[in-house]
Amino acid sequence: MTDIRILLVDDEPDIREIVDVSLGLDREFTTRACASGADALVTAAEWSPSLILLDVMMPLMDGPTTLANLRKNPRTAHIPIVFLTARTQSSEIEHFISLGAQGVLSKPFNPMTLATSVRSYLPPPVTHHAP
Amino acid sequence: MSAKLIKAILLVEDEPGDARLIREMLNEQGSHSTELVHVDCMSAAERHLAECGVDIILLDLGLPDAQGLGAIRRAHAAAPRIPLVVFTGLDDESLAEQALQEGAQDYLIKGQIERRPLLRALRYAAERKRLERLKDEFVSTVSHELRTPLTSITGSLGLLMGNAAGNLPTPMARLLTIAHTNSQRLVRLVNDILDIEKMEAGRVVFNFSRVEVRTLVAQAIEANRGFAEGYGVRIRLEEALAGADVRADPDRLLQVVTNLLSNAIKFSPPDGEVVVAIKKGADVVRVTVRDHGQGIPVDFRPLIFQKFAQADAGDARQKGGTGLGLSIVKQIVDRLSGEVGFADAPGGGTIFHVQLPCWDHVASLAIDPETKPDATRLLLCEDDLDTALTLRAQLRQVGFVTDFAYSVSEALARAEATQYHAILVDIHLPDGDGVSLIVRLRELPQYHDTPIIVVSADTNPERDDLRSSKLNVLDWLNKPVNFDRLVHLLAKSVVRNANRRPRILHVDDDNLVARALGEIADVVTVNSIEAAQRALKAGDFDLAVLDVELAKAASPDLLPELRDSKGNAIPVVVFSAHSANLADDPREQAALAKSHSSIDNLVATVRDRLASRLASVSREMI
Repeated sequence: MTDIRILLVDDEPDIREIVDVSLGLDREFTTRACASGADALVTAAEWSPSLILLDVMMPLMDGPTTLANLRKNPRTAHIPIVFLTARTQSSEIEHFISLGAQGVLSKPFNPMTLATSVRSYLPPPVTHHAP
Repeated sequence: MSAKLIKAILLVEDEPGDARLIREMLNEQGSHSTELVHVDCMSAAERHLAECGVDIILLDLGLPDAQGLGAIRRAHAAAPRIPLVVFTGLDDESLAEQALQEGAQDYLIKGQIERRPLLRALRYAAERKRLERLKDEFVSTVSHELRTPLTSITGSLGLLMGNAAGNLPTPMARLLTIAHTNSQRLVRLVNDILDIEKMEAGRVVFNFSRVEVRTLVAQAIEANRGFAEGYGVRIRLEEALAGADVRADPDRLLQVVTNLLSNAIKFSPPDGEVVVAIKKGADVVRVTVRDHGQGIPVDFRPLIFQKFAQADAGDARQKGGTGLGLSIVKQIVDRLSGEVGFADAPGGGTIFHVQLPCWDHVASLAIDPETKPDATRLLLCEDDLDTALTLRAQLRQVGFVTDFAYSVSEALARAEATQYHAILVDIHLPDGDGVSLIVRLRELPQYHDTPIIVVSADTNPERDDLRSSKLNVLDWLNKPVNFDRLVHLLAKSVVRNANRRPRILHVDDDNLVARALGEIADVVTVNSIEAAQRALKAGDFDLAVLDVELAKAASPDLLPELRDSKGNAIPVVVFSAHSANLADDPREQAALAKSHSSIDNLVATVRDRLASRLASVSREMI
């Protein structure tokens, strides 16, 4: 079974749970969740997720700062990042993309199609055959 | 006067008598803490607002350069956060009402203004504006905050509805459907509130492109079919003209058609039909949406495009609306330079229409029809048609011809086809950033030194990429454009046209000076007063450079004769070997002592005087 690891970073426990169930609809996904940017930096380096789903407005370390820190670490610099945010004005989306995010998904999202949306941001499957 | 709220008042009034009256009323009780600044036209008001803060604006609606609602819009654009009280005529109650809808906080009727009501109006207007601002901030914050719990609620319900937790017993599924439908409605409501708040604050960026109306309408109908079925309503596209292209932001236009459709569906009787048609006029495309509902109550008609306007609150709740749909439609259509309206449909029901400028029409407007070969032609890169047309009209009055480019690609194509004397660039263009446009223009050899002015609603002129000397941007003007400043910049920098350089009458016997001046103008050098007088009869000059010893020795009265054929005095730059001889003559525009000034200095002074003259001539023409 292919293992696609998704790391979710969101300070709202309810949203972490819903995203977990939504992504679970895709059987190839394994999801882990972090409640803060700081946690995410550690987990991302240890677990090497295929993609990080990142909230924007979080206390202490917000999404853009977390992204910048992930990019600084060679072990996490290459991981695709998709923002999951309530702020989805077109100018804001452009801003997030300019920071180096692969995509932006808006809250509220459709829980039945979230996994499909996330899949579209994954790099080509070649990487799964790498040792 | 409430010292707390109002410290500085801007009075925009062109009638000196009225202005005096207001000033007296405000000063009567000697309120020293309130400062009154009086200007007599809109451009002066805009200039003042760009530089100084005021607490309230008192605006006459019959100014020489702005009238009626146009004046309100300009004041609002120049200072969206400043309260506004307008003066209207006695017989213009309807204008007063429109003024309030356009964002004025209060109005006073001219000729009936008294001190106490004036002071009260000012206080109330300031307070009303403060509350409005608080409300807007509150709405924006709350709407964002609402999204977080809404995400959890709609997410949970969505998962249950999608059987992610397994099949549910029917009665439970029914209750879940109700909860799910209503959570979706709440999401729509929050989205609508945010939309309208953003649009009112002018924070929505429109990306204009060529839109095929038939495809877009078909898309909107498809998207609303399920919604219509829920109400037992059919949607029919009756007349669908192909090739009816408009200039619009496709996402926003889709929102307009969707809102009109969902409105028509909600107010249709069961088994009713909503009929959509697309028609083409000379310069416009018209989309109509017809329902067979009850029609709009007469009392409600004037309010229909207002926020949260609902004919009957109970009725609207039953229909599942937010009361914001039509208000959003109106805001968007205004920004698309279009028009929205409604009428009773023959045989019952209502027809809403949206009218937008045809693509071909907008494209044909891009080229200024003025064909004088020696005209000074400017290129304005601006995607907002109304802004572009306004600026063209203003620039035309001061003798400039203006072509438009609505996008980066269009701007480059036009710049290569025509040699423009100056280029005005809006930073926000649909297919790219204005800065990248400037970079590419500078790569074209023919635009290496052409004056480029940035005109932008972006309030951050500190952008580092624009300061780059490589771009060589002449200046950054914020919208709304301070027109006098723009004209001054243009006049100063633009070589008005290649065939007619400025003409200088040079009364001196110094060849070095003549040669230096020849770099910037056509110079007629004469070494006697008689020759100067002959030259003046033979042709117009933009400026005279005099050696004061030579001039005064021959005729101290040469100065009054320095006039062009229209009788306007020509600016004079006086040059003297002895600074003591430089009399303080008001007709002299500048006096330079040869011993203290280099030739470069003289040329710079002359260049500057030529520019101010051009600017002042321009101002006289406004």
